Amino acid sequence: MSSDSIISSLSPESIQSGFAELGYICDESIAMSVYLATQLNKPILVEGPPGVGKTELAKATATLLQQSLIRLQCYEGLDESKALYEWKYGKQLLYTQVLKDKLGDLLKGAHGLAESVTRLHEFGDIFYSEDFLEPRPLLQALKAPNGSVLLIDEIDKSDHEFESFLLEMLSDYQISVPEIGTIKAVSQPVVLLTSNNTRELSDALKRRCLHLYIPFPDLKLEQKIIQSRVPEAPEDLRNQLVDFVHTLRELDLKKHPAISETIDWARALVLLHANSLDKKLVESTLNLLLKHEEDIVSVKQELTSLFAKAVKGSKHHVRR
Amino acid sequence: MNNTFVEFVHALRGADVRVSTSEALDAVQALQLVGYQHRASLKLALGQALAKSEEEKQAFNQCFDQFFHFSNMEKLSDTPTIPFQEPLLQEQPASTNSSEKDNIANRLINNLSQLASNIEASLTGQSNATLSEPGQSSGQPAQSQSPLGQLLLSGDQAAAAMAMASAGQSTNVNQIQLMTQKGLYGRRMMMAMGLEAMEEEIWQAELSNNPQQLQLAQRLRAARDLLRSEVRDYVEQQFLLQAQAKGKRLRQDTMMHVRIEHLREFKDTQILVRKLAKRLVKKHAHRKKVHNRGQLDVRSTLRQSIPNDGIMFNPQWKTKRSNRPKVMAICDVSGSVSQVSRFLLMFLYSLTDVLPRVRAFAFSSRLGEVTELFQQLDINDAINETLDTYGNGSTNYGQALLDFKEHCLADVDKKTTIIMLGDARNNYGEAETDILRELYQRSNQLIWLNPEHKNRWGSGDSEMKKYQAYCTLAEVCNSLSHLERAIDKLLIRQ
Repeated sequence: MSSDSIISSLSPESIQSGFAELGYICDESIAMSVYLATQLNKPILVEGPPGVGKTELAKATATLLQQSLIRLQCYEGLDESKALYEWKYGKQLLYTQVLKDKLGDLLKGAHGLAESVTRLHEFGDIFYSEDFLEPRPLLQALKAPNGSVLLIDEIDKSDHEFESFLLEMLSDYQISVPEIGTIKAVSQPVVLLTSNNTRELSDALKRRCLHLYIPFPDLKLEQKIIQSRVPEAPEDLRNQLVDFVHTLRELDLKKHPAISETIDWARALVLLHANSLDKKLVESTLNLLLKHEEDIVSVKQELTSLFAKAVKGSKHHVRR
Repeated sequence: MNNTFVEFVHALRGADVRVSTSEALDAVQALQLVGYQHRASLKLALGQALAKSEEEKQAFNQCFDQFFHFSNMEKLSDTPTIPFQEPLLQEQPASTNSSEKDNIANRLINNLSQLASNIEASLTGQSNATLSEPGQSSGQPAQSQSPLGQLLLSGDQAAAAMAMASAGQSTNVNQIQLMTQKGLYGRRMMMAMGLEAMEEEIWQAELSNNPQQLQLAQRLRAARDLLRSEVRDYVEQQFLLQAQAKGKRLRQDTMMHVRIEHLREFKDTQILVRKLAKRLVKKHAHRKKVHNRGQLDVRSTLRQSIPNDGIMFNPQWKTKRSNRPKVMAICDVSGSVSQVSRFLLMFLYSLTDVLPRVRAFAFSSRLGEVTELFQQLDINDAINETLDTYGNGSTNYGQALLDFKEHCLADVDKKTTIIMLGDARNNYGEAETDILRELYQRSNQLIWLNPEHKNRWGSGDSEMKKYQAYCTLAEVCNSLSHLERAIDKLLIRQ
């Protein structure tokens, strides 16, 4: 099936179930935003705490639409030459060297400097044509013949200048290269921008995007996610560990454990052949969940009470 | 229905969700895709197109729930989606039935019958007998003749709600400004829905001796009372949505220009200050680098030339990161000036994103540093604490300047901006202008904000004229808009 017909046959429900088959469990709001983005050709700005599956969403979308994923990781100092295009300087230099001899033939019979220059002008832009253009992620996405999913990761890390530079790309799916002109998208890519909200993005950017906020998932959803990602974890363990992570998220910690950490933890517990949680086990594997020494220390102190709460909660859950 | 959407956008704007026209257009497209039938999807789709941050999402959810508050909609969302056919409310040609008096209501109901059939399809098995009296429908009493009566007795609540919304539109309920107008608008809406014809019918029915007619009159009367209370709720809701937001905006606009002493401690002022501060942060978060045109950055140029075989045809220029000013705020906290100081401090400490290093000092006679207070306590508590500690006593600018010199003259350097806030009324004490001059020379800039009007500078015990000579900038500052402008300038000059 071509990607166009895939896109036109989508519905929010089919996206949700399609994602589920790919192992990406999501709620309606995520499915709805992907649906709207594909139908309205609008970029999505995805915000949320780190580790809730923002990048994963782009990967799942690419697989679902059977398109290639092109990823642009943003960082401070990222500029057009790394994001959009670069001239192949080496190739240009090499060609000029190789073609040096040809130059003589070309200019043979030309009288005077003026005429030589006029002749050269006729070939003028050869070295600044698309053959010498090294496409970077943004240009790749525009040139992809069958469409693509473009992930612009952590846009909040980039500079303001780059953010403004993106505006043309996001609203019209085209970019301007001064030497060549405007390049339009062959087929419009699905664009996802992610942000961890380390700084406020400009209104202009937000205006052009659909906005999706992914919070930490609720208990049921996270259990489903673990079930799909770590199917070998027994059900009791799964419920207990998700409950425990949820109690952790209620604490005042420097960094709360995200879904990715829950998954890692579940995998580790399976590896340790655990069938249920106990205090000692949690204590020794806590560093998988919490990434700050202070957090680990403060949680260890309260572990007994926390643990009692989580296990009680999960038992209650099982009974229900 | 597009009118409803536009109204919704207005209500959103009132609730501080910034919705631009292009976003509204996107939302319309999303609407066409999703349709009105499925409330939950509608909310999700509109939310993603219109609300662009976490706070806006919250405001949006609240606004959506208030705005699309039809008791029947809730039930609708549980039933499976009806495939989207066509816009539900197309303008229909006026009805041919010319015997009816009220034209608006007639057209309305024609539109609605279309909707009703759609909704009925989705409401299979749903009981909807809230409006019609139970038990009565099984018998075959006299049918109501007036369109409103038919509508109400049909028990189709969604249609009734739609009729109400349209009547609301035709009577411009969204223009409601004051609480006292609620009754008026309620009456107008009922009239627009065709109350007159219905009342005529009730009257006629009561006059006749036919028991069926009497029964009909009774039922109509009950329906009318129900409708009245529903309309009252609707108007109330509109008031909350529209007028409250408008009133708030009006109040905030006024607050911007009112003298700060009169503002006192309204809850709104704090919100407003935070809003202004946010605006300034947004404006000044940009401009991180200043290009130093003409100065070659040799290192970077060399590095850039590596892929070109070392040929340096891509020169790089030096850039400079513009430093955020180091602000020292010296605030007079005595008497009338204290209110202005309160707002200045509130402002400065709301600007931590663009002004990370603010040191605050307070004085009336003796001066002390209060920076730590602001770091440890909530802004309000810190301000109250400051006013308590330093607020009482006769103003002595000379002493305060002496204290400041002793305390932290060494910390004042070329990156420092000093903001003095006070009326410069020194009770005829020693002015110590020399110290101010020293501060002026050592610092990047010295800004004096004076809550008094310029005419009064230098009159009586005011030393403002003397001090003014050593200020980079001396400004009147007695309203929030003055304050905003002053801080804006402070952020621009670096």
